[in-house]
Amino acid sequence: MSHHVTFNDLPQGGEKFETAKGAKLINSLGFIGGVGLLASIYYFYAETSTFAYSWLFAVFFCFTFVVGGCFWILLHSVSNSGWGVSVRRIWENLANMIIPMAIFASPLLFPSVQTHLYEWMNHHREAAHHAAEHGSTVKEALHHMSEANPHLHVLVSKFGYMNLNPAGFSWYTRFFAYFLVLWFIASTLRGRSLKQEQDGDIKHTIRSRQFSSIVLLPFALTVTFAAYDWLVGLDYNWFSTMWGVYIFAGCAWASMAVSILVITWLRSLGYLQKVVTDEHYHLMGKLLFAFTVFWAYIAFSQYFLIWYANVTEETRFYLTRNTEGWRAVSIFILIGHFVAPFVFLLSQPRKKNPVVMSLGCIWIIFMHLVDMYWNVIPERGPSLGQGVWVPGAWMQDIAALCAVFGIMSFLYLRGLAKYSLYPWRDPRLIESVNVVN
Amino acid sequence: MSTTLKRVHGYLAEFDSVKDLYHAAEHVRDAGYQRWDVHSPFPIHGMDTAMGNPRSKLPYFVFCGGITGTTVAFTLETITQTNFWQSIGLGFLQKIVETYPTVVQAKPTDIWTLPAFFPVMFELTILFSAFTTLFGLLALIGLPRWNHPLFVSKNFSKFSDDGFFVCIEARDPKFSQEGTKSLLEKLGGKNIELVEDEI
Repeated sequence: MSHHVTFNDLPQGGEKFETAKGAKLINSLGFIGGVGLLASIYYFYAETSTFAYSWLFAVFFCFTFVVGGCFWILLHSVSNSGWGVSVRRIWENLANMIIPMAIFASPLLFPSVQTHLYEWMNHHREAAHHAAEHGSTVKEALHHMSEANPHLHVLVSKFGYMNLNPAGFSWYTRFFAYFLVLWFIASTLRGRSLKQEQDGDIKHTIRSRQFSSIVLLPFALTVTFAAYDWLVGLDYNWFSTMWGVYIFAGCAWASMAVSILVITWLRSLGYLQKVVTDEHYHLMGKLLFAFTVFWAYIAFSQYFLIWYANVTEETRFYLTRNTEGWRAVSIFILIGHFVAPFVFLLSQPRKKNPVVMSLGCIWIIFMHLVDMYWNVIPERGPSLGQGVWVPGAWMQDIAALCAVFGIMSFLYLRGLAKYSLYPWRDPRLIESVNVVN
Repeated sequence: MSTTLKRVHGYLAEFDSVKDLYHAAEHVRDAGYQRWDVHSPFPIHGMDTAMGNPRSKLPYFVFCGGITGTTVAFTLETITQTNFWQSIGLGFLQKIVETYPTVVQAKPTDIWTLPAFFPVMFELTILFSAFTTLFGLLALIGLPRWNHPLFVSKNFSKFSDDGFFVCIEARDPKFSQEGTKSLLEKLGGKNIELVEDEI
């Protein structure tokens, strides 16, 4: 066993990250983001209908990391765990990326974008138009429309949740609420953590725990409903009660992989040498393993129920994804998202090896990307009436991904320099640094 | 005069605290002993490293147990419910299915009805893993057994309350009546006794 690390071994004031040291990666990400953004602006005007899907995919992909970061700090505080103190700031910063995330998500608020993504909104807008003409309510107008088009009956039933009434419990209100809740959680927890760096008082840890216990439920609802509003809404006929958990499992999984990668990168630049040990890699690897299994469990349960029940409205989701080229992607996800990481993460020496773990994490992020792509993009062709694959649209997907992911990671890595890389006055830092599991 | 034959089990030494026990373990390990153990009322983090224990072989057993569970479930279900074995030329395994295929909810009777089998495959994987964990563990630690020579020592009963012990067994090739005792003394061991077991 190595030497027991004490507060005297760690620098006063924690470790400050100098962006100049990591300039190579940060600038390349910024460059990719910039190029992606230019391409995105072009596509946004030239190919609005197909590009809307690309943008939704890219935004949601990055959104999952932010949500995951938020989840890990919440879990860390709620479970009163000591081991994660030395890596907690990485998650805190990740969760606080919610503000740029909101800016990237804002195009979804434009009706000109919504009209291509969310068919139900078009029906609602038409109903609102009729309602204004006849002096009835939107719901009544919708009901009237459904007499000619029986498919719309479901929209009448779902009116309480799926509506555009700006004052009530509508898509718009929820859109703002999601970002508000996530921002509130992320900034409060990081705020407490930073206050602790002033006085080193344990009361901030305790307050964070109390706070986290309260906001855990709103957080869960936020993730669930955001996943419903933005992705399930693509097909208003479809529903699945497991959807929220499914997305959440992916969030936690992928953001853990990202934090492991960021930590390895920082360590390769000479930071966190004493604070993070292979025991932390092992612990994070175990959580990664747990969520590999959890994701598979949820993904399979969702598939299994829909497959067995064989209800037309539900099977449509899997019919699209199990036919044509998407079938190969589905099988690839089964193997790459579950079987391969499962076997890879079984071994303890592999989890303790930072290089091997980081390679695994790159794979995991890639698989999460495929999973998100598989969730959003198959809706594009059928919804726009352009067949299964829209030719050439993959370039738009890449452009959107480069723009959102590039700029988000550029901002995130630069943001690391703002505060110490770990909460250096947390009373339990030493416990975390010397953790053995 | 008693004529009972006795066998030396080893030296038992008591230590005051976890810290002392931990350091004693490190020194006994560095002295090159193989057959020895520590006893404490609760698990001590890092004791495996301090004792120089190699990684347990149990995970390999459990992995094999899990794989066996998956295979058993898959075979059982596909033989009784699908024509999979017939399609790979092993139809003699499932003559009955050929005659009476089980059609449930209009699902296919070939390999593509696989999702229906996952719950059983999952459960049997868990069950077989759990069995191999339990029985593999018992086999590796040599349980159950009737008695242990250390129970001869009156002092040793403290191991489940507040006693921290090191026992170096006589079957260790480096064991010697003088050398081992002086090592334990040097490490701060108290109440050092030679545990002798009646044969």
